[in-house]
Amino acid sequence: MERDIEQLNLALNNVKILRSNVRLVFESLSSGLRTEHGEEGKENKFILELQDLLTLVNNNLRDVEGAVSSLTTPPGPFSLGNSTHLSQETTQERQQLYGQLVNSYKWTDKIREYSAIAGNILATNSFNKTYKTFGTKRRKTQTSNHNVPPEVIENLITSIDRLFSDVAITSSRPFVPNPLIQASLGRVLKAMIAFKGLMIEWVVVKAHSESNDLWTESRYKVFRKVTENCHAAMCHFHSPMMPELAVRSFMHWFHSYITLFSAPCKRCGNHLHCNLPPTWRDLRTLEPYHEECK
Amino acid sequence: MGVTILQQFPTENRTGPDTIELLSKRIKALGAMQHGNFLVDCETYTSVPQLGHQRTVHVLHNSEQPATVFSILDTGTKTIPLATDGLFDLLMMKMSSFYTSKKQTKAESKGPRFEIGDFCVKLGTITVSSNFKGILVEVEYKPCVVPAMCWDLMKEFLQGFLGFSVPSTPPTYLQNRMQELYTPIDTIHQYLEQFMIYRKSPGIGVRT
Repeated sequence: MERDIEQLNLALNNVKILRSNVRLVFESLSSGLRTEHGEEGKENKFILELQDLLTLVNNNLRDVEGAVSSLTTPPGPFSLGNSTHLSQETTQERQQLYGQLVNSYKWTDKIREYSAIAGNILATNSFNKTYKTFGTKRRKTQTSNHNVPPEVIENLITSIDRLFSDVAITSSRPFVPNPLIQASLGRVLKAMIAFKGLMIEWVVVKAHSESNDLWTESRYKVFRKVTENCHAAMCHFHSPMMPELAVRSFMHWFHSYITLFSAPCKRCGNHLHCNLPPTWRDLRTLEPYHEECK
Repeated sequence: MGVTILQQFPTENRTGPDTIELLSKRIKALGAMQHGNFLVDCETYTSVPQLGHQRTVHVLHNSEQPATVFSILDTGTKTIPLATDGLFDLLMMKMSSFYTSKKQTKAESKGPRFEIGDFCVKLGTITVSSNFKGILVEVEYKPCVVPAMCWDLMKEFLQGFLGFSVPSTPPTYLQNRMQELYTPIDTIHQYLEQFMIYRKSPGIGVRT
């Protein structure tokens, strides 16, 4: 494909050169004898010049023929479908449609190419731990995780409540059936967590003395930073195939903030950096780090 | 209201304003912004002999809680803290025939107040009946309410701008209350503790 286009380009270029040299011949012929041919033997000089030009044309013609012979003829006529009629369009504004059509064809081609590559890569790195194998074992079909019966969510929340002794959870349902839970982590902080079905939708971390409002940020820098990191973790643990596990791992990670003020940074060994304690917890090891040290 | 640590800073041949200036410069270099001034004052009343066993009432005001009057009743065997609203001052005036104040003992700590991150730093000049006595540095870490959790962190912060004059143990008042929730009255207790020390300390024109 690439070679064909290259050769086509070469052939077209050769035709262009040929045309320009032929034009030179005619130009020279039409102007006839000129002053630069001098007085002596001017006819001879003119004929010689013409001869040179004609040989050049001859060479060019040979190049063109060579280039054309190496081209492969397309197999049958191109079928353009209805788009052939676009070329016969007379109204001004629709004449540009053809160009756009060609562009969109190019895009679809690219998409097909990329998706094929992506498909290959994904096929070689299969998700062994996810829904596929899990589902065949248990024959559990879960069609959606944002439209689940309230009892399922209730069960999940009570199980998390039992998981940690120092996390106290109270739930309310301002928007049935999606609960809003308030998780108090010891005497360190509290978090307002909004659920959408079984998925965590929003997290705000605040001091115990602050309001339970879901929409206002904490007035303390440290809790604003923790909120930010909670959002990152929420996205990290998010897994549409296993929403319960995602919530559980998030809560497990969140529980590590019980040492927010007391644990020094694992990297630099200090408590403070930029007047903040280590606000980041490693997602796997749960070790405390400063934002700048992680 | 978060955990607050009150800490003396040695003046070492410097005058009071010079020391405040030095500490202000250090804390500003760390990125602190000045947010107004503060004032904590303490007046002590003693019961008249007719009431029998002598009791002492310390009445304190803190500009951080401007609508509250704190008082600590010292019976000799135990102390009873009380937080009331501003009318308590008028009540004390009404009771002047039972409780009399020794005017010379009025102690004050005042100076600039800085905010840096979640910390609040106050550099106070101590005067007892308008005689200069020393420098008190108050550091509050606002997000945390349990002293045991953040003592190490606060010690690091204090060492950051006071140098190594910071003791490695918390103030004596806090030592028994490390696991409890911190309240404004705890700050008042710490101030009273310091004021008592300064009242007894020799200085220019000591009157106890």
